[in-house]
Amino acid sequence: MFGYVRPVRDELKCRDFDLYRAAYCGLCRCMKKRCGWTSTWFLNYDFTFLALLLTPGEEPYTPCRKRCSVKPFLKKTMCPASPALELAADESVVLTWWQLRDKIQDEGFWKGLPARGLSVLLGRSYRKAARHCPDFDRTVRERLGELSALERENCPSIDRTADTFARLLQAAAPATGDPLRDRPLEELLYHLGRWIYLIDAQDDLEEDAQAGRYNPVAARFGPQGNREALELTLNHSLNRMYSAAQLLSFGRRWPVIENILYLGLPLVQRAVLEGSWKQIQKQTIWRQNQ
Amino acid sequence: MRDPYTVLGVSPNASDQEIKKAYRELARKYHPDNYVDNPLADLAEEKMKEINEAYEAIQKQRSGGGSSYQSSSSSSGGYQGGYQQQRQYSGNPTYARVRNLINMGDLNTAEQLLNEVPQHGGEWYFLRGSIAYRRGWLDEAMQNYSLAVQMEPGNMEYRQALNMMQRGGQAYRPYASAGGMDGLDCCTTMLCLNCLCGGCN
Repeated sequence: MFGYVRPVRDELKCRDFDLYRAAYCGLCRCMKKRCGWTSTWFLNYDFTFLALLLTPGEEPYTPCRKRCSVKPFLKKTMCPASPALELAADESVVLTWWQLRDKIQDEGFWKGLPARGLSVLLGRSYRKAARHCPDFDRTVRERLGELSALERENCPSIDRTADTFARLLQAAAPATGDPLRDRPLEELLYHLGRWIYLIDAQDDLEEDAQAGRYNPVAARFGPQGNREALELTLNHSLNRMYSAAQLLSFGRRWPVIENILYLGLPLVQRAVLEGSWKQIQKQTIWRQNQ
Repeated sequence: MRDPYTVLGVSPNASDQEIKKAYRELARKYHPDNYVDNPLADLAEEKMKEINEAYEAIQKQRSGGGSSYQSSSSSSGGYQGGYQQQRQYSGNPTYARVRNLINMGDLNTAEQLLNEVPQHGGEWYFLRGSIAYRRGWLDEAMQNYSLAVQMEPGNMEYRQALNMMQRGGQAYRPYASAGGMDGLDCCTTMLCLNCLCGGCN
């Protein structure tokens, strides 16, 4: 998860923007409380979206003012701790940890050093988070294992490789026993995972070619990729997400979720396909004078 | 049954016009075209039924239960029945079973059964495409549907499936005029990208 899932700020109402920021800050605080402060370095927009999806629709939005965990002299409006935020916090840490491990395995000794350093710093947080959600921890390990196996054998199918990451993300929403909520949410997360995996593959196309690494888009469409074909399948995944999202009720959080799905994702997709994403990626969506 | 006004998301004091508008919007949202071969089609169908019933109940209430309105209300629920997909079954009993299994969502058994078929014709590739599509394996679905159409160019069912893939599927979009921002020119895109990252302020 690399920050591909973000809202288009200028299309948000102020109150929805405030809600988004409160969820972001609330998640940050939750991560710090449950997993230690190093884990908050890895907070990103994707995990905030996960927290929004996991919050039950009927849960009211009741923000509170608490101290910021990054700048303790500031007080910020944030969502108070809730089971959904706690779950999202634990899952974020577990996912970040396994992605770091994955990177260490892929890279050589010297190139893998930064990731190795980060994983040492995140170790304690990961162990705490994994204790909180052992099932998700096991699923992530298994899926990423399957993915590495497919990558080793140079799998030419984008569906099969994306499927592992999609099922991994699908597992982020544990079943509640209500099929009216579980089935659409699983479908939504599956296609979100598929979309993120393929967008990331397209984004890394040149870099992987230079490093001689496996890239699913290159394995399927050739070293140059195929913009039209990839765009088509990505749009189709977006449509499957939309059809699923319309069957769910997110209550007060719907406007911001709608903004992310219908405006944010297509714009990021366009930026990645056009190659302008790298410059945008690092910029923040918060106003700098705030 | 839930309160029909809650189902349509309108107040009980809403005008007939407002109710009709709300009903139309919801019907557009859960229209069968948005859930063709979708694993969630049954849930959307349920929603559609609920909306139709709510709309009819309100119309009945407002007309004082008069029988003259009843006939017009059943015709206004013009989306009913659209979910039943008619499929032409071929003579092969295995394929009929595979279709059944796909409809029930048992994709693994369907795939196993299909793999046991020795000869691969158009229908075989079509069904393999259907299984892939249900799973969300959209690229493989497209490849299989293409093969099915190549082998039997005259079959409308296969053609429709392939057409749907070539359009990138279909779903309800609330930002109707923007069309998911597909129709933007280069400058507008850059403006929007600026919005995305918070601009330069």
